[in-house]
Amino acid sequence: MTTTNPGLSRRRFLALGGAVAGSAAGGALAVGCSPASSTNTPVATGTGSAAKGAVTVMSQAGEFGPKEAKAASQALGLTVKTVEYDLTKLTAMLASGNPPDVVRGMGATETPYLVARQVAENLDPYFEKSSLIKADDIDPVNDVWRYDGQKQGSGPRYGFAKDYSQDCTLWYNGALFDAAKVTRPSATTPLLLDELLDEGKRLVKRQGAKVSVYGLNPNGLGLFGQLTWMTDLAGGKLTADDLASVDFSSPEAQRALTWYLEYAKAGIGPTVLNPDPNGWDGPTFQAGRMAATLSGYWLGGLFAGDAKSAKVAGFAPAPQFDTGRRVSPCFGATGLWMPKAGKNKDAAWAVMEWFLAGDPAKARAAGGWGIPPLKSLQKLMPQKLPYQKQAYDVQMAEKEHFSVTSYTPYARQDAINAVITRELPKAIKGAMPVGQFADTLNDQINAQLADGKKRLR
Amino acid sequence: MSSALTEVRRPAEAPAPKQVVRGKKPPGLKKARTFYLFVAPWIIGFVTLTVFPLGYAFWLSLTDSDGLSPRTHFVGFDNYMEIFRDPLTLSSLGKTGLFALVTVPLSILAGLLLAVMLNQPIRGRGLLRGLIYLPAVVPPVGAALTFRLIFDRDAGAANGILSGLGGSPITWLVDPNVRYVLYALVLWGCGGAMIISLAGLQDIPRELLEAAQVDGASYWQTFTRITVPLLSPVILFQVITGVIGSLQSFAPLLLSSGSLSGAGAVPQGNYMYMIHVFAQYFSASRFGYASAMLWLLFAVILLVTLVIIKVSARTVFYTVEPEGKK
Repeated sequence: MTTTNPGLSRRRFLALGGAVAGSAAGGALAVGCSPASSTNTPVATGTGSAAKGAVTVMSQAGEFGPKEAKAASQALGLTVKTVEYDLTKLTAMLASGNPPDVVRGMGATETPYLVARQVAENLDPYFEKSSLIKADDIDPVNDVWRYDGQKQGSGPRYGFAKDYSQDCTLWYNGALFDAAKVTRPSATTPLLLDELLDEGKRLVKRQGAKVSVYGLNPNGLGLFGQLTWMTDLAGGKLTADDLASVDFSSPEAQRALTWYLEYAKAGIGPTVLNPDPNGWDGPTFQAGRMAATLSGYWLGGLFAGDAKSAKVAGFAPAPQFDTGRRVSPCFGATGLWMPKAGKNKDAAWAVMEWFLAGDPAKARAAGGWGIPPLKSLQKLMPQKLPYQKQAYDVQMAEKEHFSVTSYTPYARQDAINAVITRELPKAIKGAMPVGQFADTLNDQINAQLADGKKRLR
Repeated sequence: MSSALTEVRRPAEAPAPKQVVRGKKPPGLKKARTFYLFVAPWIIGFVTLTVFPLGYAFWLSLTDSDGLSPRTHFVGFDNYMEIFRDPLTLSSLGKTGLFALVTVPLSILAGLLLAVMLNQPIRGRGLLRGLIYLPAVVPPVGAALTFRLIFDRDAGAANGILSGLGGSPITWLVDPNVRYVLYALVLWGCGGAMIISLAGLQDIPRELLEAAQVDGASYWQTFTRITVPLLSPVILFQVITGVIGSLQSFAPLLLSSGSLSGAGAVPQGNYMYMIHVFAQYFSASRFGYASAMLWLLFAVILLVTLVIIKVSARTVFYTVEPEGKK
């Protein structure tokens, strides 16, 4: 049996049901109370001034919370409500046919997944008529929100970044470099990954067997992304052209795996075997306990209010292998998208447009937490403090090396990362040689992708 | 004229039906309506929050739903069959069983030991009882995160103490040590078991213990022949609730070890059944398969509980039998 219409009986049944809990595991599926709208034809309204009604935005409180909702309501004459972003809740709302009108998402990794499941709305008609977002002003990074069914980076736009980073660019603590007598990274010439690893080994500080200062954290936003990038740098491809399989056995992928395993075995930074208790690099860097991290431009926003970090922080281009290939990817491009089953799309677009290109976008640009998605706003990026000016110059030059990486629509990145994380400890401990590690990853991830593909039939 | 011998006994007349006065509802119906009115909130809650979700979860378990896509296929019992082919599911179930096997007796024994000690007339026992019970009221999430910090390799207090004593730091939060941290976390919360055992101990008639003393029984004999048998229903309750709780363990496993980024980063030693369920639901978006896993867990819990009850029939001593006989 196949159901293809959101308005069929299951969803109507759900809608009548009130609330659903899938399981004691927290697989709870609380549902709303009205069936999906059948009016899914977009009617673009330019600035959204003609839009009326209520709009529900699902985002994080620090990004689009009640404060932003109030400002949006005042600016647009709409009723804007917020719901805290939660995948469980989003799933339940989508399943009930009563989704939020606007949802936070990570364009780089989520777009193909959402589009393949027919969940996200094609926003091209809205962009065409927008008065705030002009085609020639859109930064190329927003192409991660495009998917043509086969390749990411082309086809319709399904969302738009609120800000972004090229996530393999390097933040370093200059004072720690100086103390270890390691030359600070160049602002123009990217380090070689092998040099960076050697430097990390010199920069790490230990008290007995305890690591008091991490020499390097190359984990980024997830290992699959990092390994995809490094394989690309080595001149290969981790994911097949049809996005339905991965190959960790190629020489290029093996080079990436070997590099990471050498890093992990050296014990110079956080790994699955020695996770950073802070959970992310910000507090560790601010505490002077991290010499270098591949974290992307956005981390610099943290230092603006922290004079100590601002004094020592430096920014450098994304490193590369000795192949001469230079790639500086984006694994996030966090932004907003609109569910296909949303009921008030014109009003939802008005809110999106205001938030992504209106006054909030200008304020964000000046905050330094990420690069604005519109070229015209990028001149507002902070350049007052020395570290800000240096990071701005490096970042502007780095833009040239951006290209869209296609992610698979057949599995969530979390699921792929979970496989890598599960098998990694054996490889780090030496219980599994790199070739066997690659084969294991191929077997498990490809099985997962095949299952995902089957479910999309 | 009829004599007593020839008198024909007429059957007793059935009581005349009560006449229903027009416009007045029968009292029985009125009572029933009142009853249903009062229990209606519970019935509505039970149907919408229990019966319907269970039915929906079962339906999901027969599909390949990913929670997002409108394209959902009915796959029959494929998900249930896959459970028995998935090595990760089976190994996580095995680990969960082992975890229950270790932690349930440990925490009951620890609770019982503490209860016996704090049932003695010692000075400050009220304070001691309170202090030992305190961890049991700490929310599991808070407790798990605290343990995570305590056992962190580089910044944790446990390794700080070890270093102070001249020892080498231990990587507590990864395999194979991570399971000991988990056992410690479970034992840390044994104040709950202590309170239940304490209540059971205080319910034991003093005359029985005094009679045993008069008869010359040693403390150990009194404990094993009187205290433990009389506590056996309390212990049975702890075993059943403990096993059910252990088999469903989730938050402490997720939060006390590995990365906070999700179920995928939980070390293998702590990768138990509910973690795998969570990973299937929210990392892999396999709602159908994860629902089938939960139904399997329900069946396992039901089976284990029935076995425990059956086995306990020979060993648990009830002062009042279900029929009311002493």
